[in-house]
Amino acid sequence: MAYTYDRDDEDTLKMAAADFGDHVDTATFSQILEMDEDSHDFSMPLVLNFFEQAEETFEKMDLAVASKDLPELSRLGHFLKGSSATLGFTKIKDSCQIIQQYGSNLNVDGSAEPDEAVCLKKITAALEEVKVDMEALEKKMKKFFESD
Amino acid sequence: MFTSQMESLATTTLADIDGNLLFDLSPLPLTVLTPACCIARVSDRFLHDWQVSRDQCVGRQLVNFLETYLHPAGSAAVVNLTSTIDDAILTKHASSWRARVLPIFKGAELIAMVLEWQEAPAAPGEGEIVRPGLSTDEAFRILVQAVKDYAIFLLDTKGRIATWNTGAELLKGYRREEIVGKHFSVFYGQDDLAIRKPELELEICLREGRVEDEGWRYKKDGSRFWANVIITAVYKDGVHVGFGKVTRDLTERKTAESRLIAAYEESEKLKSAFLANMSHEIRTPMHGMLSACTLLLDTELSTTQQDIVQVMDESGQVLLQVINDILDYSKLASGSFSITSDIIGITSIISSVVRSAQTTTRSGVHFELFLDPDLPKSVQGDPLRYRQILQNLVSNAAKFTEKGTIRVRASVEFENEESYSILTEVIDTGIGVPEPAAAGLFTPFTQFDATTTKRYKGTGLGLSIAKTLAELMGGKIGYQPNPERHGSIFWFSLRFNKIKNVEQIQDWKQVPGSRDGTASPELQAELAKVASTKSLLLAEDNKINQMVMLRILRSIGFKNFALAANGSEALNLVRAKPAAFDLVLMDINMPILDGYEATTKIRESGIRVPVVAMTAYALKGDKERCLENGMDDYIPKPVDIPYLIKILFKWLVNAKDYRMSAGEELSRLHNIRTQLQPTLETLKLPLPIPTSPPSQIFQLPRHQFTPRLYHLCYLQKYRRHPRWSRRRLYKPQQTQTRT
Repeated sequence: MAYTYDRDDEDTLKMAAADFGDHVDTATFSQILEMDEDSHDFSMPLVLNFFEQAEETFEKMDLAVASKDLPELSRLGHFLKGSSATLGFTKIKDSCQIIQQYGSNLNVDGSAEPDEAVCLKKITAALEEVKVDMEALEKKMKKFFESD
Repeated sequence: MFTSQMESLATTTLADIDGNLLFDLSPLPLTVLTPACCIARVSDRFLHDWQVSRDQCVGRQLVNFLETYLHPAGSAAVVNLTSTIDDAILTKHASSWRARVLPIFKGAELIAMVLEWQEAPAAPGEGEIVRPGLSTDEAFRILVQAVKDYAIFLLDTKGRIATWNTGAELLKGYRREEIVGKHFSVFYGQDDLAIRKPELELEICLREGRVEDEGWRYKKDGSRFWANVIITAVYKDGVHVGFGKVTRDLTERKTAESRLIAAYEESEKLKSAFLANMSHEIRTPMHGMLSACTLLLDTELSTTQQDIVQVMDESGQVLLQVINDILDYSKLASGSFSITSDIIGITSIISSVVRSAQTTTRSGVHFELFLDPDLPKSVQGDPLRYRQILQNLVSNAAKFTEKGTIRVRASVEFENEESYSILTEVIDTGIGVPEPAAAGLFTPFTQFDATTTKRYKGTGLGLSIAKTLAELMGGKIGYQPNPERHGSIFWFSLRFNKIKNVEQIQDWKQVPGSRDGTASPELQAELAKVASTKSLLLAEDNKINQMVMLRILRSIGFKNFALAANGSEALNLVRAKPAAFDLVLMDINMPILDGYEATTKIRESGIRVPVVAMTAYALKGDKERCLENGMDDYIPKPVDIPYLIKILFKWLVNAKDYRMSAGEELSRLHNIRTQLQPTLETLKLPLPIPTSPPSQIFQLPRHQFTPRLYHLCYLQKYRRHPRWSRRRLYKPQQTQTRT
C-alpha cells in the first residue's frame, strides 16, 4: 500500500519542526488546524487575530496596572485566557489565569490574598512573563505557518 | 478474773513451760505416731473432738483405731494408710476429717509423725457415689467417659489428642486407639487448615484462657457437621499441661436456622413484590375517587350531603397519605430506597416546604423562618429526601399546633474542607410530647397515645420514615421538648459534601459517561441531519472564540446562527424572537450583561429555550452559579468538539422541543379551563390556568398546580375514557341547568 502524504501528517511534522514545546498544547491546536479547508485558510488568520488581540489586551493591562484597577485586570486576564485556551496556547493561558486570580484578590490556589500591593506585584510579574512568552510563541507560529 | 490470769502468767517464766503441756493444751486436735504408726500421744482437743478417752487410743495402732470409727466400717486391708489419711473419714459422730501428716526427723531417722486433724463438712450425697475406693477424680473420669452427647477430650500442649470419650467416638467416628496421639487438626476442613485455624485457636486459647468457635468439622468418614467447639487451657500447679476440648454437634440447629432465614427472606421478598405491585393499583383508583369527590363537592348539595361528601373527601386524603406512608416505609424497610447525589439548595427547599405548609395550617398559627446567613447556596445531596424529612416534621408540627408559632431554623453546625453539617430544626408551640412517649417517637407504627390516634389521623410512620431517611443519608434526627413554652423541637442534622467545581455539577447533570472519548459517528450523523434546520444563538465576546465556535458549528452542519458580543445583545435577540432559537450557547464572562444575568432575564421573560453555558471557570463561587441561574447545561472551554456534539445532540435531538411542549401544555390547559370554568368559579379558586396570550405561556410553572387542581386535571384523563363518559360522572353544565 502506497503511503499517502496528507495534510494532517504534514502539520504534525511542521509542529515538530516548529518546536512548540510547552508553549502549545498540540492536541488542541491540531483541532484548530483540522478546521482548515484549504491550506491554513482558517487557522492562520485566527492565530494572527489572536496576536493582535493579545497586543491590545496587554496595552489595556498595562494601563490597568498603572491605575491599580484589579477588577479590570481580572476581567482582561479571563478574556485572554479564553482565546489562548481555545487555541491551546498553554503558557499564555496559565499566565492569564494568574492575572485573573490576583485581579480578584485570590492566590493561585484560590485562597484569599487581601493585600492589593502583593496582587499587583504578582500581576506585574505575570504580565512581564506573558509578554516574553508571547514573543517566543509568535516566532514559533511564524515559523510554522511560513513553511507553507 | 482476767487480771489474775495476767498475774499468774507474769509469774510463769519461759523456762517453766513444759513441752508436753504445750502439746496437750494445744487448740489443735493432734496425734503423735511412732514410726510404726502406733499412737503415742494425743492432744486434749483431739480427745474432745473425737469424744474418746486417752486410754481408748494411746498405744493402739492408728489403722486399728480408725477402723473402729469408720463409717461404714470397712476392712482395714482395703484401706491403706495413705488413703485413710487422705480421704474423708467419717467418725461415728458423722463428721468428716482430714489429717495433715508432719513427719519429724532426727537426722536421717524418722522418730515420729504428727497428725494434725481438720474437721471438714460432710459433702452431701458424696457418701453414695464417692465410696471408699472410688476417688472424686475417678468419678469425674467415669462421668466424662460416659457422656455421649459431647465429645470431650484432652490435648497435650502441642495439640495432640491425649484422651477420648464415648461422645467423641460417636461424634467423630474415630476409636480411641486410632486417634490418640494424632493432632486435632484432622477434624478441620481444607479452608480452615489454609488459614492455620487450629494453631491460631491454640494460640488464642493460651493468651485468653479459652476459645470458642463455630464451624464445619469433619468426621472419620469425611462427612461434616456444624460444630460448636470450646477449648480451655489446662494448667496443673501453674504449669501448662494441655487443652481441654469440648465439641458439640449443632448441625440440626444450624439447618433449622438456615431454614428459618430462608423462609424469612422469602416472605420479605414476597411482601416487597406484593407492595410494589399493589402500590400503583391502589393509588390509581384512589386518585380517581378523590377527583370524583372534589367534583361532587362542587355540585349543588344539601348541607347534610355536603357534610357527608366532605367526610368522604377528607378520609380519602388521609387514606392516600397512609398508603403513601406505608409504601415508603416498606420500600425503606426492604432497602430498595435509594439516595441520589444531586445539587441541593437548602434554603429554597425550606422556603418551599414552609410555603406549602402555610396554606394548610390553622389561622392562629404562623410560621417563622430562620435561615443562617452562612448557609451554603448549594451543596451535594439528595434534594428529594431532604425535602421529605423536612416536610414530615413541618406537617407534624402543623398537625399538632393549634395556635402559636412554628419556627423552622437551619444553620451550619460545622464546616470543614469537604463538607457542611447542616442542622435543621422545627420548633412548635403545639401539644408537645409526654415524657414517657418521647423514647418511642421514632418507632414505626407508634402514636404516642390512643386518644391522639383518634384525634389526629395518621399511620404513625412519618417520623420513622424521616429517621430512616436521615440515617440513610448518614445523619441524625431527634426530639426535645421546647424549652421556652409548651411544644416540641424536632431536629435533624445531615452532612452534605461541598460542590468542588463546575465539572462536578456538570457530571451530575449529564448522562453518565458523557465526557469521555469521542462522540460516536452515528450521533454526529443524527445531529447533522437536523442541524441545518436548527437555529442557534452564540453569545461570546471574544472574537477568537467566536470564530472557532462558528467554524466548529458549521463543520457539524449548522447553517443558521445569530451572534451576540455580550449578554445584553443576547437577551435582546431572544426577547425579540422568543421562539426563534433552538438553543443558546452562552459565554459567562461578558461585558455589559454577563451570561448569568442574561440567562436569568431570559427565564424571567418566560422563555424556556435551552441555554448552554460555555466558560473556562476558575473563580471560586462562580462555579455553582452556572446552573442556579437557569442554565440547562455546561460546556467547559476550550471546547472539546465530540463533547459539544453530545451536548447539542442531547438538547436538539433528544430533548423535547421547548416550544412544542409549551404549546401542548397551553392547549391542554385551555381545554381544561374551558371545561372547569364553572367549577372553578363556584370554588372561587385562584386560576393558575393562564388566560394570557400564547407568547407568555412559558411563564406557567408546573408547581402552581394545587393538589386539588391536580385531581381535577387527573379526572380529565378519566373523562376521556368511554366508561367514565358513559356514566356521565361529570356534567356540571347539565347539573346546573337541571337544578
